[in-house]
Amino acid sequence: MTETTPGITIRPLDEMDISDIVAIDEKIGGKYRPEVWERQIGYYLRRDPESSVVAEIDGKVAGFMLGEVRSGEFGLEEPTGWIEVLGVDPDHQGKSIGRRLAEAILEHFRQRGAHSVRTLVDEDKQADIRRFFGSLGFEPSTLRPFVKSL
Amino acid sequence: MSMKTTTLPKRYHEAVLRWRDVFLPDYNFLIENWDKHFPNDQTFELCAYREMGMCTEIECGDMKGKPKAMKASELQPEQAHHLFGAIRAQASTEFGSIQQHRLTLARAQEEEEQFWVLRMMAEELRHGYQMLHLLAEDDWSSVSKDSTSDVIDDILSMNTGSHVLGAFNIDFDSFADNIVFCALIDRVGKYQLQMQKISAYQPMAESMPQMLREEAFHLAAGVVPMRRWATAAAKGETFVTMEVLQKTLNKWIPRGLEMFGDERGGASNVRMGLKPMKNAEAQQAYYKEVEKLVRDLNLRYLRARVENLNHGDSEAYLNRILAGETVEGVSREDLVHMPHAEFFRRRGVPAFRMVGSQGETFDSLPEYLKHLSRNLPESYLASRDYKDYVEALTQVTTGALTVEAATGRMPALRRVAGACPCSKSVRWVVDEPAVAAAQESVIQPVA
Repeated sequence: MTETTPGITIRPLDEMDISDIVAIDEKIGGKYRPEVWERQIGYYLRRDPESSVVAEIDGKVAGFMLGEVRSGEFGLEEPTGWIEVLGVDPDHQGKSIGRRLAEAILEHFRQRGAHSVRTLVDEDKQADIRRFFGSLGFEPSTLRPFVKSL
Repeated sequence: MSMKTTTLPKRYHEAVLRWRDVFLPDYNFLIENWDKHFPNDQTFELCAYREMGMCTEIECGDMKGKPKAMKASELQPEQAHHLFGAIRAQASTEFGSIQQHRLTLARAQEEEEQFWVLRMMAEELRHGYQMLHLLAEDDWSSVSKDSTSDVIDDILSMNTGSHVLGAFNIDFDSFADNIVFCALIDRVGKYQLQMQKISAYQPMAESMPQMLREEAFHLAAGVVPMRRWATAAAKGETFVTMEVLQKTLNKWIPRGLEMFGDERGGASNVRMGLKPMKNAEAQQAYYKEVEKLVRDLNLRYLRARVENLNHGDSEAYLNRILAGETVEGVSREDLVHMPHAEFFRRRGVPAFRMVGSQGETFDSLPEYLKHLSRNLPESYLASRDYKDYVEALTQVTTGALTVEAATGRMPALRRVAGACPCSKSVRWVVDEPAVAAAQESVIQPVA
């Protein structure tokens, strides 16, 4: 699935990306959370390493999108692609990295037999993410999350 | 993207199950606990997967653009000879690694790490099964005088000491070996599988994608615990210190480099469309990748030792420390380092040169052995493998043996008769030079 356009390479996630992803997360959120990403990346690599992608610029990860194809959840029997985590290095924003990552992951989901792709966005706190998915053709779904405080 | 699933003919399938019962006795324990450790993951199945819809034209070499071979009989004799050796070697490594991992699996300190390795072992069994499938599905009589049954029996009879590649003949001494082996030796496997994905022999190419998917997790099963150990070492919380990590890296990196074959070789595989890279090119890419792993471990260590660093600071601090400064109480000696590519080598261009871990050269054998004893794990120094190396090096330095002869004269366990996975038919033998040379031509799947 590796594809290259000038300066940006999109390729499947691998275990050597952990440090770069930890650094991007830290730049965005201000927290150093290596344990979280070691666990997360271990999960995606054992499930389907080709379903998660990174964008590389000059040999360093500049963005990542993690997801997988699942079925049998929430009444969705057919294989469905799920985009669950994404991040772009603030130093590299504005280079269409998110779009490139999405194109690659959606193509893989199609190859894995998915006819639709879903994600969850907090509309109050993630307006930019909402716009990003909107620009890719994502529309609000009737499948809504319900939450109860415990 | 679709996959075809097949199983071996019954007698071979059952032979693998018998092998599993002997060398992977925790298999049932893994399956019983699968959902606890790998919830919602597809349950493990012992079968061969072939990816459909892959490129059907040869992708490199003299015959680029021509149709790939669907059968061994469509290969040129030289191609078939190389490929048969590569499949046999690949099968040997898959089964061999399980035999190594089982020795120290029980010594894992964390249940999660133990189950990751156990899952990896089961998947290596499937990879070996995949290679047996390639041997059993086709007619290799043009390149092997042995029947399919004998070839499979031979592979299943190998044990630590009689495997085709050196890295699979070294006993593990601690769980650090399990983890570092996953991170380093499985990484060589990843390179081999990636290169074989373009094989001019279509069944080989179709076998690679699923193996590569599984291999991605095997590397994580090594790298993630190493990162955690580096953090724990910084906090003084564990018996796996940075020194232990360093010595274990020193033990395995030279063997990993040698698995790519002689640095001067590999052109014939490229020419025949079996692999896209020569040995030295692949070996250099591997070395660079492991360098990144080592740097990541040091960054992880540094962040745990020095509080309130951000990513940019930690990179800058690490560069200063590696340049020789002591920063916030952390010095170069506290960190791990890549051993020099010529350190402790017994095959390839630097074989039996007395090169130290940082590239320094030695003229005196006793001094070099002292250096090795300071830089390799203590338990490994008491091993048969190390003793054989020292004996061969001693003979090379006294002129009693040429480097080429020393490379081929290392004693190894070999199957000399018998026909079952747990047979007692292996014993220590020393190859005659002619036999060693013949073995060498087969054991270089990347030559």
